[in-house]
Amino acid sequence: MEPGKSEERIPLLERGEEYVHHLEEEAGSSISACYQCERCTNACPVSHFMDIKPHHVIRYVQLGWQEKLMASSTIWVCLSCEMCSTYCPNQVAVAQVMIRLRNEAAKSGVRPQEKVLAAFHRTFLNELKRFGRVNEVWLMASLNLRPEVAVEKIRTGSWKYDLDAAVTLWRRGRLKLLPHRCRDMKEIREISRIKGEQK
Amino acid sequence: MKISYYPGCSLEGMAVDYARSIQDVFRQMDCELMEIEDWSCCGASASHSLDEAMSVLLPARNLAAAERMGLDIVAPCPNCFNRLRHSQETIGKVVEKPPWKVNGSVKIHEMTRFLTQEFMLEKIRGLIRNPLEGLKVVCYYGCQMVRPPWITGFTDYENPQTLDILAREAGAEVLDWSYKTTCCGASIGIGRRDILVSLVGRLIDKAQQAGADAIVVSCPLCQSNLDMMQKAAGRSPMPVFYFTELLRLAFEAGSWSKEWFRAHVVDPVDMLRKKEVFR
Repeated sequence: MEPGKSEERIPLLERGEEYVHHLEEEAGSSISACYQCERCTNACPVSHFMDIKPHHVIRYVQLGWQEKLMASSTIWVCLSCEMCSTYCPNQVAVAQVMIRLRNEAAKSGVRPQEKVLAAFHRTFLNELKRFGRVNEVWLMASLNLRPEVAVEKIRTGSWKYDLDAAVTLWRRGRLKLLPHRCRDMKEIREISRIKGEQK
Repeated sequence: MKISYYPGCSLEGMAVDYARSIQDVFRQMDCELMEIEDWSCCGASASHSLDEAMSVLLPARNLAAAERMGLDIVAPCPNCFNRLRHSQETIGKVVEKPPWKVNGSVKIHEMTRFLTQEFMLEKIRGLIRNPLEGLKVVCYYGCQMVRPPWITGFTDYENPQTLDILAREAGAEVLDWSYKTTCCGASIGIGRRDILVSLVGRLIDKAQQAGADAIVVSCPLCQSNLDMMQKAAGRSPMPVFYFTELLRLAFEAGSWSKEWFRAHVVDPVDMLRKKEVFR
């Protein structure tokens, strides 16, 4: 850039402000208090597998870079182990923010970067709505029968590991083939229809 | 004494060994576990990943059932415990009312903490006939049992002691290590096996460096991750026990527990025989 000419910039918080307030309310914690000390990222057991590190996630939220977050692998890789929230000196509930972002991503039309993990959560809830409890055999079967998962598993060859695990567990008597169905399924279906809003 | 019991889905499938050993230990201790009537899944990580309302209301359904029974809850699975506690804390803050009456008044006990109350420990001490002398273990707590502390109520979340106390009561030598609460990867292996293998590999390494013969856990997911993935991580086999299995073995030596040990991927029987605590 030529000297003397000032770059035209949008003030940093203009775009982010609304998004920060929205997420702060949803996560029930402060996000603006983050001063980028990176303690969350250093405590995180999987930060080296993330494309956007936890402290960057908080910064992106402050800047309102929602699209980048929705398309990241980070929001799916997060284990909810709560190390970040526990050790944040400013009480930013980082793990809770990740969960809110994951909620948003699931509702948005953005293609999740971790297809199988996203499909797993969806399948888990479907199984839960079907039986009231979750049976591991049925869960894994329904997951692997999803077209996007099946394609991914064949492409990466990871179906072999699943098969191997199934055989091992079967031999050890750890698979329960018949699912248990709760008696009061009406109640569980009713719960799944309630759309909660936090106060 | 009576207490309501919320086993959780895993204990019906993958963690049958945990379920059976819990039943056995509590029977010996003369403490009756009353299964919560028609309990349903707590929603685990899926419900709070996708649907916040469900993650509060699903556990609340079980809380309501326990309230009707008028008994405090004990939950063996740390994730279920965490979700139940989370629900208890947030139930009043959700605008939509649950379709039944619930006020979140029952006390929710995490199983290891329930058993480390002084009067329970005394009962345990009276039952130990086969102390597991010479068995060196490290205790692994994982995440959900201790974090976040404002939900779990653990004040020593950096260096929790409940499993250590129980393993020590069982006669085992409990070693110190720094990885008590480092995450094992939870359900990440379903989509990212590479991450799971790396996390489990590190835990097994650290346990071996501490000089342990075995790892003691209380979480079904930690157990299956550590037990199943150590081979994929290329580590030499290290048995992973539920603490109740060790307690029961310390109560009485015998081959009755073979059925649980059969469920382990890494067979612990040879190691236990070598230590002369298992016949």
